[in-house]
Amino acid sequence: MRAPAAALLGLLAALAVARPACAEDASAWLARAAQAARSLTYAGTIVFQHGGRVETSRLVHLNDNGVEYEKLVNLDGPAREVIRSEGEVRCYYPDAKIVRVEPRTFRNVFPSLSPQQQQALAQFYEFRKAEAGRVAGLEAQAYVFEPKDGLRYGHKFWADRATGLLLKARLLNERQEVVEQFAFTDIAIGAKVDREAVKPTWSATPPDWQLRQGSAGDPVPHDTGWVVAKLPPGFSKIMEGFRTLRGKREPVAHLVFSDGLVAVSVFVEPIAAVPGQQAGAVRQGGLNVYTLKLDDHLVTALGEAPAVTVRQIAQSVSRR
Amino acid sequence: MNEELSRLMDGDLPDEEVDSVLGECRRPGALATWACYQVIGDTLRGAPGAMPRFSQRFARALAAEPTVLAPRRRQHPVSTWAWAAAASIAAVSIVGWTALSLTESPGTAIAKARDVHLVTPASVRRSLPQEYVLVHQEYSPATAIQGVSPYLRAVSAPIGDGRP
Repeated sequence: MRAPAAALLGLLAALAVARPACAEDASAWLARAAQAARSLTYAGTIVFQHGGRVETSRLVHLNDNGVEYEKLVNLDGPAREVIRSEGEVRCYYPDAKIVRVEPRTFRNVFPSLSPQQQQALAQFYEFRKAEAGRVAGLEAQAYVFEPKDGLRYGHKFWADRATGLLLKARLLNERQEVVEQFAFTDIAIGAKVDREAVKPTWSATPPDWQLRQGSAGDPVPHDTGWVVAKLPPGFSKIMEGFRTLRGKREPVAHLVFSDGLVAVSVFVEPIAAVPGQQAGAVRQGGLNVYTLKLDDHLVTALGEAPAVTVRQIAQSVSRR
Repeated sequence: MNEELSRLMDGDLPDEEVDSVLGECRRPGALATWACYQVIGDTLRGAPGAMPRFSQRFARALAAEPTVLAPRRRQHPVSTWAWAAAASIAAVSIVGWTALSLTESPGTAIAKARDVHLVTPASVRRSLPQEYVLVHQEYSPATAIQGVSPYLRAVSAPIGDGRP
């Protein structure tokens, strides 16, 4: 019975030094959930709800001796298929006869949290185990990250009790309304999945389809010359550099800030490179975007944080 | 409070104060003040003048209208970011509508107006910058533990209209 022992140890540690232990608990739990998502083999139906919309997709994930393969097919609207294999992501758009290839690894690897992020996690969220229940027919345990201020959303996760795989994830605003939710409605974990099941419906690049190469890999870490003067409390910079994006001639400055649970990105590019593009705010589920003009540059902040947080970050971008 | 109402009417109220002021509108008297300011504004602009019992008749007529708060999502929204003058007018009228309709159905109108997310008075972007979203996702710890969600967002229609 390892789990109760671990829980007891966790409790003792928490009693000894309340805050740091809590931080480790939260980040360790996050890392475990990420590990489960990568290392297990599973197939299921996943429902994504945001605003008034509900979208259903079929997901197959195979871990074949440490190599991940994944196939995601949406079940509503125009068909879209995403195939992930060995460091490459291919998106198929059959109606437009386009294959889009992302050479980047798209590491959906859980980023290891810096001590600063761990501390922010403990300081700005209360992490706790919530109720047990059933999700997608499996016994699940709920966990809550409750924000201590209005600058971040609440997060509730349901993990499979047997494997730790996340079965449901929910974002909540300050009035406890669901902003966005991902949930498996049925899932088979550990079922046999062969390589055929994670292959695209079409050939890698069908002859009469257009092939579009996506943006090149990771950004080169670099001082971009841009700063965010008034960061919301708890956020710290985890990345800064330039990256080349598809359809953009000039490299775009990209800075990422995180509070340990979510990230907010800042993109800055010369306004001449994006003719006709203007300021404004837009939102999809838990993702808020805020764009403004700063002299001859366009600044865009986006992240899984409330609009007020994203806007504050965008508005305090300046030259160093 | 009256000053806030006036600023709300003029579109000068910061977003973060809109909710609290709209909440205050439920107080007896606030709505009368709001209506009064509207009439003053109309008069100053030379609009057809104050009609007797206008607000009651307006509220009645409004109650009979079908509730269509959200502008219909365009089938093929432009992917460029554009100032949407019409949308910002819609935003202002949603805020106004919300305030006026509070006596009819407190609460629900505000919730709907928030869902529409046009309360930002200045401008509205039509679609998410897909390239940005894709490269951003991998940095979010909460997203990483869901594993699949970067792709879910990518295949989801509202992101850059789900186009290649």
